[in-house]
Amino acid sequence: MANMKINKKDLVQLLGQWSQEFELFVPSRDGDNPRFLPWDGKDTGFLDWYRNTVIPPKSTMLPPVEEMFRFQKEKGKVQLEAPSADSKRRLLFGIRPCDANAMTLLDKNFEDGYEDPYYFNRRKNTLLVGLACTRPYDSCFCTSMGGSPSDASKVDIMLTDIGEQFLVEAVTDAGKDLIAKTGGLEEATEADAARAEESRKAAERKVTRKVDTSDITERLRASFEDKEFWEKTAAKCVSCGICTFLCPTCYCFFINDETNKQCGVRCKGWDSCAFSCYTRMPMENPRSEKWKRVRQKMAHKYEYYPMTYGVMACTGCGRCIRNCPVNWDITQVIKSVPAKARVESK
Amino acid sequence: MEQKLRSEARALLEQGKVDYIFGYEPGSLKFTTTPLLTRDKNDVDRLVVNPFIVNNLAKFLTELKGRVGIVVKGCDSRSLVSLIQDNKVARGNVVILGVPCEGLIDLSKVEKLVGRERDELDDILREGDKVFVTVDGKKREFPIADVAFDKCLACELPTPKEYDILLGAPTSPIGQKDAGYTAIDNLKGKIPQERWEFWKKEFSRCIRCYACRNVCPACFCQRCFVEETEPKWVEPTANWQDNLLFQVVRNIHVAGRCSDCGECERACPVKIPLRALTREMYDIVGELFDFKTGMDKNEPSLMTHYEKEEAEGLIR
Repeated sequence: MANMKINKKDLVQLLGQWSQEFELFVPSRDGDNPRFLPWDGKDTGFLDWYRNTVIPPKSTMLPPVEEMFRFQKEKGKVQLEAPSADSKRRLLFGIRPCDANAMTLLDKNFEDGYEDPYYFNRRKNTLLVGLACTRPYDSCFCTSMGGSPSDASKVDIMLTDIGEQFLVEAVTDAGKDLIAKTGGLEEATEADAARAEESRKAAERKVTRKVDTSDITERLRASFEDKEFWEKTAAKCVSCGICTFLCPTCYCFFINDETNKQCGVRCKGWDSCAFSCYTRMPMENPRSEKWKRVRQKMAHKYEYYPMTYGVMACTGCGRCIRNCPVNWDITQVIKSVPAKARVESK
Repeated sequence: MEQKLRSEARALLEQGKVDYIFGYEPGSLKFTTTPLLTRDKNDVDRLVVNPFIVNNLAKFLTELKGRVGIVVKGCDSRSLVSLIQDNKVARGNVVILGVPCEGLIDLSKVEKLVGRERDELDDILREGDKVFVTVDGKKREFPIADVAFDKCLACELPTPKEYDILLGAPTSPIGQKDAGYTAIDNLKGKIPQERWEFWKKEFSRCIRCYACRNVCPACFCQRCFVEETEPKWVEPTANWQDNLLFQVVRNIHVAGRCSDCGECERACPVKIPLRALTREMYDIVGELFDFKTGMDKNEPSLMTHYEKEEAEGLIR
């Protein structure tokens, strides 16, 4: 399928078309708290400010609070009631390449062993329309994590800024199907393709934060017992949940029953390995000391995930750096993990 | 001030008067700083004092062992004194390096004024009461009152009262106290129903990351009530009702301990205006008990101290 293009000013009609068939999510300011929310059907004002959202788009697949089922006890019998499933297909418009990549990383966890229905009901029901970055942040480091500001490989359709227009590229079959029946698109020319390539290169040049992750898995393994290093690394961490909650690849959740006498609801909610009370519900936290929790966070992303799934659980979106209240910078930590074991493993 | 801090810090380490120096060094992002905790005298040259030293380092004292030379601003020093009053920190274990504070720059205000984000700014320069922001090569001038944190505008005591070494001449408040109350005044202008709707909307955004609590020096409980499961005071799920309840209880717990350092509000990733609650509580405490947080280390802590004469019918 040839690449298409659309005038930026016509984007609102495009979204209008798509919103007939899909529940359409777009970047929304939501006060001062950018996140993906259902499109208000009005405009594409987000194009003016949108660099990336603070709340990652994982919240559309793995919401901060999710009802699993309701229960009621009547005459000694327990009745369960499943939540109503989303039936309308969904479309996420404007997801950044790093966050689309993060979805594929979340998939690996939620399909491991069995398919998590809560996650995959949404995931499989959602089309991802990517928007290549033009203004990466100084905290972005996607190019160090195998990505790029214009990587189209994890979305269904990719849009690239070529000035007055977007180049529209259908990537997957689902993306091609949708483009085929979408009106208002023009076929892109070779000049458009050249402009898109220029746009991609320009964005990539703006990603100036670089970190070498080639041997981080081995370095982390070698440094597991290096308490001195980890204590120093963890010293300024306040053990809040910002970096994990805002991480597009972190998926830890707790399960909690909210009960009222004979009835109640079982909920899932975001949890964080940074918390001192993490895993307290089944038992005490085996990582009661802060340095162990910081080590866990690093090891899960750059050691255990590669060992289990062959890929690191980080896409370089930079949210953890931008939003940390103490400027605990994960790229500095990656750099500082010792190259060789300084402490022998027990 | 920076040079004095570095030489004092070096001397403290060299003379063995402290085990650690705890201050600020340049952050990894433009216009940021980050806490620097070190035992190494070679690190002291990284210490900085600038309008971006936002963190309240007193927060970390309860988890540090040994003697610490700690850099504090006016508000931080009062948090520290409050911790001393609560027997959480021993005065003899800290050497207080006081920064007479001129007010810190609120980057979110700068971003709004110039319509660009922090990393897209070329330069921010503070000169007296003026702040110069350079964007795309163009220099723009703002009075400090336009770009300082609200808490700095409302601050009455920018110079630490409790210190061992004062790093510069005492400073005066910015003198725009009313401007520091804008958010609170707006809320007070609402009828209760409107105010309820306001907070309902704000707390709907809360993701329960607990950054507000974890950056707070007054939140020193070993185990927070919110994490108790038997009994479960508050649901851990991020529903607006539980989020609000958590924050209200937290606010009551820090009454008389909050120095209006504003770190809770600054740390909040979803920008809930938490200082509208904490500063209001700070003022209520002042009004009801004629008490200001952390003014005198020999004064007892407000909420843990009780005189027989205070007995009311309810408590015998």
